[in-house]
Amino acid sequence: MGDHAALSQLVSLYTNRIYRLALRLTGSEQDAEDVLQETFLIMIKKIKQFQMKSSFYTWLYRIAVNVGLRRLKTKPFKFQHVSIDDPDIERVSSMEAQEWPAIDYDHISRKKFRKKLDSAIEQLPEIYRTVFILRDLHELSTEDTAKILNITPSNAKIRLMRARNFLKDHLEDLVKAEAII
Amino acid sequence: MKCDAKLINKVCDYLGGDLNSEPCQIIKEHMKKCHNCEIFIDKIKKTVEIYQKADGCDCAPENITRNLFLKLDLCEPKNSEHSK
Repeated sequence: MGDHAALSQLVSLYTNRIYRLALRLTGSEQDAEDVLQETFLIMIKKIKQFQMKSSFYTWLYRIAVNVGLRRLKTKPFKFQHVSIDDPDIERVSSMEAQEWPAIDYDHISRKKFRKKLDSAIEQLPEIYRTVFILRDLHELSTEDTAKILNITPSNAKIRLMRARNFLKDHLEDLVKAEAII
Repeated sequence: MKCDAKLINKVCDYLGGDLNSEPCQIIKEHMKKCHNCEIFIDKIKKTVEIYQKADGCDCAPENITRNLFLKLDLCEPKNSEHSK
């Protein structure tokens, strides 16, 4: 009984976080629900094997990311993945000089705009998308992100920079097209 | 002013790391002299803010939470405080 209550609390504590992670990773509500359920089923099955070598959330995130990536492999890509590069230094030196105005946060919640934001994230190849989700959306440290993805911290930083730069360029186009911020 | 590609790639350290660390100090110094880099970093910051704001709007819908607890054969705690 006590175990059940404790498990319920634990699941409740992480439900939103894992759902949001799964939603951004898979880009589909149905897939996100499936990933959410499978993640917690695995967690319950393996919780006795959890050793305090890492923090609990790192361990849980690792399960969720693996479940999510496995699911993506079974799906045809919705978008053709784009080429991801480092920031173009010539562009930074010359064309970036146009500042963006202050952010209009009300605009962000509008459905049409949200769709455009989501579509940019979905165009990122998984290796960049996962780092961006963990580091910037879930605000995990570089070290925890690297542990979860089984990559080095410097690799995580490179991927994050490229992901941020791609999304910035995408927003830049939206700014020009719609004057949204 | 000509920007340095290596420096720009350290923006992640600046935005997500220890602001007193050596890379951050170097970038801060550079930005004082380079308006283009300052704008570049501001845009990266705004991009992250916009995505964080959008992501924060997504909570697991009630039916999905209910289905989850049913699937796990657990009782959903009353007044459960979902994480952010």
